[in-house]
Amino acid sequence: MVVVGRKELTLAERLYLPEVMRGLALTFGKFFEKPITRQYPEEPLPTDEVTRGQPRLVVKDDGNIACVSCGMCEIACPAYAITIDGGETDRAIEREPKKFEIDMLRCILCGFCEEACPKDAIFMSNELELADYTRAALVYDLEKLRRPKSALQRRIDYVYKLSARWRRAK
Amino acid sequence: MTKIQINGRELEVDPKQPLIRACHDHGVDVPMYCYHPGLQAVGSCRICQVEVAGAPGQPSRVVAACRTPVSEGMVVQTDTPKAHETRRECLEFLLKNHPLDCPICDKAGECDLQDYSYNEGQGKGRSSEPRRKLHKRKSLGDVIVLDEERCILCSRCVRFFTDVTKKAQLTVEGLGSRSVINTFMDKPLEGNYQGNLADICPVGALTSKKFRFQARVWNLSKSLSTCAECSRGCSISVESLRGKEVKRFRPRYNAAVNQWWMCDTGRHALAPVTRALAPAGAVLGGRLTGAAVRGYNGLEARATEDTLPLVADMLATHSGATLVLSPFATEEEGKAALELARALGARPQFLSPAPNGLKDDLLHTGDPCPNRRGLTELGFEPVEPAALLAQLATAPAAVLAGERVLELVGHDGLAKLPSKLRLVAFDLEAADHACLHMAISVPTHVEKAGHWTNVDGHRGVLNVAVAPPAGVRRLDQSLQTLTRLLAGVSSKA
Repeated sequence: MVVVGRKELTLAERLYLPEVMRGLALTFGKFFEKPITRQYPEEPLPTDEVTRGQPRLVVKDDGNIACVSCGMCEIACPAYAITIDGGETDRAIEREPKKFEIDMLRCILCGFCEEACPKDAIFMSNELELADYTRAALVYDLEKLRRPKSALQRRIDYVYKLSARWRRAK
Repeated sequence: MTKIQINGRELEVDPKQPLIRACHDHGVDVPMYCYHPGLQAVGSCRICQVEVAGAPGQPSRVVAACRTPVSEGMVVQTDTPKAHETRRECLEFLLKNHPLDCPICDKAGECDLQDYSYNEGQGKGRSSEPRRKLHKRKSLGDVIVLDEERCILCSRCVRFFTDVTKKAQLTVEGLGSRSVINTFMDKPLEGNYQGNLADICPVGALTSKKFRFQARVWNLSKSLSTCAECSRGCSISVESLRGKEVKRFRPRYNAAVNQWWMCDTGRHALAPVTRALAPAGAVLGGRLTGAAVRGYNGLEARATEDTLPLVADMLATHSGATLVLSPFATEEEGKAALELARALGARPQFLSPAPNGLKDDLLHTGDPCPNRRGLTELGFEPVEPAALLAQLATAPAAVLAGERVLELVGHDGLAKLPSKLRLVAFDLEAADHACLHMAISVPTHVEKAGHWTNVDGHRGVLNVAVAPPAGVRRLDQSLQTLTRLLAGVSSKA
């Protein structure tokens, strides 16, 4: 059996009050320092182009969606979050998504869809918040996923910069 | 048999077949675009080139395997640097004008050009010339649409019409780099076999209008099955999107029945297997998912398990019932129906609608009963819809069993039957006829397993391609339960 001896307390410690005062001094001292916490919902998180938020679909400047529903992101998605059904259009690019759903509860924000896309149609946005009352509302459809190209431009430029670097490295 | 050597293996091969067949039959992969085992070989794409050793003292030659007959003692190498280099050069020229359409193209995933480029081709084009610009969406009739830019001019489609349907309809028009596929005088394609063009096209140039952009092919689950449209019973594969919705029927090779082909009637017969379900709680206006029993307010929904005892009671009290099976009934369902017929003392009959006039020389028999021979061999007698209606007018009770049986008897005729006839239908949909007292749901032919025997006695297989909707019981099980219940009821009485 191991016997652990108890530390002998000093007089100040045994008196109890000085130690309480020391603790309170530390607490009151913090009142006058700059806070390190953030008032989150009121103060949004800072994001930049490196932030890999939820994936969003690019709407080109002519108002058409860039996606041609080729299904590459659907196949690349490791979490099976994406479901696409294609259909025909009258435009020069004959194919477009009729249904494009991302189950945001399944999405793990890995960015594989962004990497797989041959048409620069899906990018990771800086949107991170995800809250609703039902699960069904968190399966985002085409309308919820559309973003104008300008809103994603910083990320697009960043991805292009990165891929140029990879190409050079090769 | 001729002895040849392929990649160092001594093989005995059929001397009547070209070298490429000898390679494929023995598991040696040789790429091909213009060659199709069902068509005459022309050797236009040159992608099947292999190295053949020359006479002693002579250098080896590179030959097109599809146009080279096998000869005794031939020594063939498919994997040498020389063969690969020649094929890669051919591929580079084929890809010279082929657009980078794979994300949009329907063929992506089952495209020979895509596969071989991935295996053998180079990632970058070296040509600085622009690609040719042609029609991207040229309609060739009601079934097929042509993308001229994607075409690699293999001429399989041209030869399909000359070799298989024996009526030339397509040709290669223009010279050199301006060559395109076109119909004669820009007339639309005709005939019942146009859909095969989308299957045999090695690239995405000819695509099916009905299937266009409906699904990515790698999302389709395939299931071996048999076509339901005529008594030929072509071997098909039923392809369903994510295992739920049937998207297309495609022929699958069967030397004894349909070879590589199928008719458009069968290919596009998706409507009977993709019916919408009846609204929740309702029994009419769509597919029935449980059972329906006639009450004071018309047909009311009920569980199948609760309805079968009612059917048994009714059949026990109304002796002399007629039993008629749908022409789509499988052998297994036929056997179950035969036992029921014995229990009822009824003559086993199956419904045999009149020939539909689609008979041709190639595949379609014009007879809309896919299992006529199978049911006849089991002892069922065919009965025409008109004769059946005459029988039903005097019968006390009747059981019509199998998918689409009410539709094939004719709703007009059934509506005129008196309500004193106790009619029980095992069908996909119920109908509000006065005589219809009970209806029980059945699976479609893509939702059940079984066998059909075609007109020549070939036994075709059916497999479950998509799961039946919740509440739908197999017809053979329902009939067996009914026979068992009937025995219980009569022993009690």
